[in-house]
Amino acid sequence: MAIPRSLSLEDWDARYDALRRDGMGEPWYGGPLRRHLEAGGDTRLGALRFDDSPAALRLWNFLLTEEDRLREARAAGHKLVGAMKDLGTVPVLASAFPELTTFYVDGAWWIPCLMGTAIGALREADRLGVCDSFCPVRALLGAFVTGEHFPIPDLLVCSAGATCDDLSAVAQRVEGLGHPVFWWEMPHRRRADRGEPSATLPGGGIAPAEQVALVRDELGRVMGALCDLAGHRPESDALGGAIAQANRVRRTLGHLRTLAYTSPLCPMPALEMLICEMLAIHFCSDRGECIEVLADMIAEVESRVAEGVGVLGEAAVRVFWVNPVADLRVMNLLEICGGRLCGTEFLFSHALDAIPEDVEPMEALARTALADPMVGTCGERAERISRDLTRFGAEALVISRVPGASHCAFEGELVGREVAARCGVPVLEIEVPSFDDAVEPALRTRLEALIETARVKRKCAGEPRRTRWA
Amino acid sequence: MGVTVGIDAGSRSIKVVVLDRGSGHVIAHGIDDQGTDQADRVRRLCDRVLGECGTGHGTVRRTVATGYARHIVEGADARVTEITCHARGVHHGAPDAKAIIEIGGQDSKIMWLGPDGTVHDFRMNDRCAAGTGRFLEMVSDRMAVPLHGLGALAARSRHPSTISSMCVVFAESEIIGLLACGAPREDIVAGVQAAIAARVAGMAGRMRDGPVIFTGGVALVGGMAAALSAAIGTPVEVAPEPQMTGALGAALIAAD
Repeated sequence: MAIPRSLSLEDWDARYDALRRDGMGEPWYGGPLRRHLEAGGDTRLGALRFDDSPAALRLWNFLLTEEDRLREARAAGHKLVGAMKDLGTVPVLASAFPELTTFYVDGAWWIPCLMGTAIGALREADRLGVCDSFCPVRALLGAFVTGEHFPIPDLLVCSAGATCDDLSAVAQRVEGLGHPVFWWEMPHRRRADRGEPSATLPGGGIAPAEQVALVRDELGRVMGALCDLAGHRPESDALGGAIAQANRVRRTLGHLRTLAYTSPLCPMPALEMLICEMLAIHFCSDRGECIEVLADMIAEVESRVAEGVGVLGEAAVRVFWVNPVADLRVMNLLEICGGRLCGTEFLFSHALDAIPEDVEPMEALARTALADPMVGTCGERAERISRDLTRFGAEALVISRVPGASHCAFEGELVGREVAARCGVPVLEIEVPSFDDAVEPALRTRLEALIETARVKRKCAGEPRRTRWA
Repeated sequence: MGVTVGIDAGSRSIKVVVLDRGSGHVIAHGIDDQGTDQADRVRRLCDRVLGECGTGHGTVRRTVATGYARHIVEGADARVTEITCHARGVHHGAPDAKAIIEIGGQDSKIMWLGPDGTVHDFRMNDRCAAGTGRFLEMVSDRMAVPLHGLGALAARSRHPSTISSMCVVFAESEIIGLLACGAPREDIVAGVQAAIAARVAGMAGRMRDGPVIFTGGVALVGGMAAALSAAIGTPVEVAPEPQMTGALGAALIAAD
């Protein structure tokens, strides 16, 4: 097996031609990566380094053709449901209806990550007074004005309460523009009082039964809105089937994460792993294809692990990453600085856990929503991060913040302290803006310092004296 | 035995230290302002310092670059962050140091050291220049007082002004307002020093274990060590030639 290489967009042109000559088959959304940049707009692809496997090519093409998929769904007569802060539940509910297609409108926060500033979405958000002091999710507002990034959904569903307040604010502005939003309430998860009935959540947490009941009722209202949109109630076992299929995605992704993060040599770059994990919350609106894409990634990783080849050297420091980044280049930078991704908590760890299949479906989804790290305490989040960090053998922790994303403004400090105390690993908290080339040297210094510190710890564990620096 | 060279290409100045590998002593050092032609300036400074100590490039066994611009230093055998280099430099002179506060032109950092002097953990300032030397430069410009004169001026203060430690731009507006209100310059400067110290203390938390060593160019500014000591609740010692500590650490790492 050839040693995997890191490719620029230009490198991928030649690689793509070679793969096609060798008979590589592709799904309908296949094609060279460059076309996404030339078609309008994903200019930031030109600044990234990619994995060279056909599986990674399929992954990127799947991600970057979501708008085409949605337009085709509408053309085929499907009703579109836009999920915002759905906590992993609305796509599952909607997939109980064959004529509904759900997509993740929050995903618009990624538009600047791929397109930079050269888009109308941010200008429109600015014009509406939602400036860059807000989370980049403000691009969502502009996307509704320009109508250029996704078809306007037939139903918009958004949670409010103990979720992201920036998103709630932006969603209210969307509603003010004349796009009605179906709101449902998410309470802050609290600990059950002594003797109070409680329920176990996916991931091992516990919530009071009355909170589960409240969320179940709220999701029942969402289900009612979906029934109104579809014009009928779902078939009797449709929701159970939808949960089972969502769990297939989650199990597939879980297998991929375990393979990639526990292998002695890093078998897949951090950037592609981040993209894979993002699929857990929305499946790019096609769960069946999502499973196929992830299965290809698993096959690639398994083959690299079996052959003992990796994308980085053995000395790469194992880094656990908390929160998604607003600039995808930083995932490349981690590897340039000598780190490898070994575990993540991108604020949607609840979407990685299996939805209970041994309880009534609405109860199961309510428990899943309540397992969201954002609706609980920092301490509970830190506990899970510590557990996963230990499981994956990470040697350092990076906590990344998105400027303006208020749900993580203070949490990073608290989570960092707690994990450092529990696990004894060096912790780095960084702020990664969506587009700021000048910040790269500062980020690089911080990441390199973390890697150096972790390497010294690694060496000191075996050798008490200072050793020569490479 | 030859020499090793440590180059600290910082955001405001370039520092070079030449170390004799046999004796482990510093045999020459130099400093120059950073400019837009950074690689060129580094090269010229190295030539000058190596010339001054009577040795040439042929005797250089190994060079380590550190600092903000370390990646553009030509000919370096290794590039190591300033966090690791300051730790190495401090441990060389103060083996019992438990922590380091380093404030440079653009960054401020806290490093906690293990018993062998290696970095156990560290914190760095966020993107804002509050809590860095840039803050003092701004005040120096506003007050028309040279940087080296700020300490003496602050020492005369009886009622330090309260100034925001969150943002240099906010702070500059506050200083303009204080001047307009007739606040004494010494009170404003003392207030700025306290704001920088508060910012750094916010990163450090309360430090109970000393010695805490203060490095970086800002350690040369009179009054800053005292302000930091008060803010973190532990005596802070200024390293000898604190602006050279990173380059010294780099030269030591080159010799390891």
